[in-house]
Amino acid sequence: MKMFIALISGLVSTSALAAGGFTWLGGIAHSLHIPSHTVTYAFVCMLFLVAGFVYRAKASSIEAGIVPDRGFSFRNVFESFGDFMYDLAKNIMGEKDAKKYFTLLITIFMVIFFNNLIGIIPGFLPPTDNLNTTLAMGIFVFLFYNYQGIKVQGVVGHIKHFLGPVIGLAPLMLIIELISHAVRPISLGLRLKGNMEGDHLVLSIFSELVPYLVPVPFYALGIFVSFIQAFVFTLLTMIYIGTAVEHHDHGDH
Amino acid sequence: MEANAMYALSAALVLGIVGFGGALAQGKTAAAALEGIARNPGAQSKIQTPMIIGLALIESLVIYALVIAFTLAGKIA
Repeated sequence: MKMFIALISGLVSTSALAAGGFTWLGGIAHSLHIPSHTVTYAFVCMLFLVAGFVYRAKASSIEAGIVPDRGFSFRNVFESFGDFMYDLAKNIMGEKDAKKYFTLLITIFMVIFFNNLIGIIPGFLPPTDNLNTTLAMGIFVFLFYNYQGIKVQGVVGHIKHFLGPVIGLAPLMLIIELISHAVRPISLGLRLKGNMEGDHLVLSIFSELVPYLVPVPFYALGIFVSFIQAFVFTLLTMIYIGTAVEHHDHGDH
Repeated sequence: MEANAMYALSAALVLGIVGFGGALAQGKTAAAALEGIARNPGAQSKIQTPMIIGLALIESLVIYALVIAFTLAGKIA
């Protein structure tokens, strides 16, 4: 009940936000004492769940699941994302691994893409312009590909990855590889955060300079950057998982 | 006052220098990829993905500098 009252009062009172300017969800974040990027993230994920249920309902019967819709529809948009990501995964990881990791990859892609995209709507800040969100994703990816590497190749096999192809260079390669692996989650997180923040900053500066018409190309650029960054994040995840689980038999024959 | 001026100057310089390097590198990447596509248009889809990875990796360095520039600009009292 307390939560409910807080939610209602949060929805109606947005004037409590002195600093940072108006955002649609700022009132809720303020009255529940949750950081606003968390609220926006939860909001996007709720929309996403609803969209997922609607999609599932549309494709539930076997007949409707096989026969695609005609033209541009909600379902076709969803499926085009899936198609696109599956083709990419197949090219990079091979068909077997692509099937295995497809659910994770498409989830990462769509969550990041829609979280980026909500920044386009005035009054929303993208949750991905906060390092807490993006670094969490980066660390998850890091843990996941190491876990998968150990699961598929065994501990010894996974550590062999760090030693390079030539045994004489192994000590040197170990240091380089360890650093490059440790930097991966940080670089994933910082890239996404920096891009979204920078993009939003450019947009806000230009809309302050000239409020009419001039910011329109920057909105287009924002959509493009949203897509590219989600794409790059997923692509790098794919490559990391792909290299961690690939079977290479050098040195054995 | 002195320190503030230094912060402002270095925040601008960081982005200026790294933007120069990043733009050169991205230009070279795009030029090479376009040349490859122009010679063999069939290979477009195969060239495009590595090119985007390369561009993203170059850009991430610029973005690191952007983050540093933000922290420096935040220090201006």
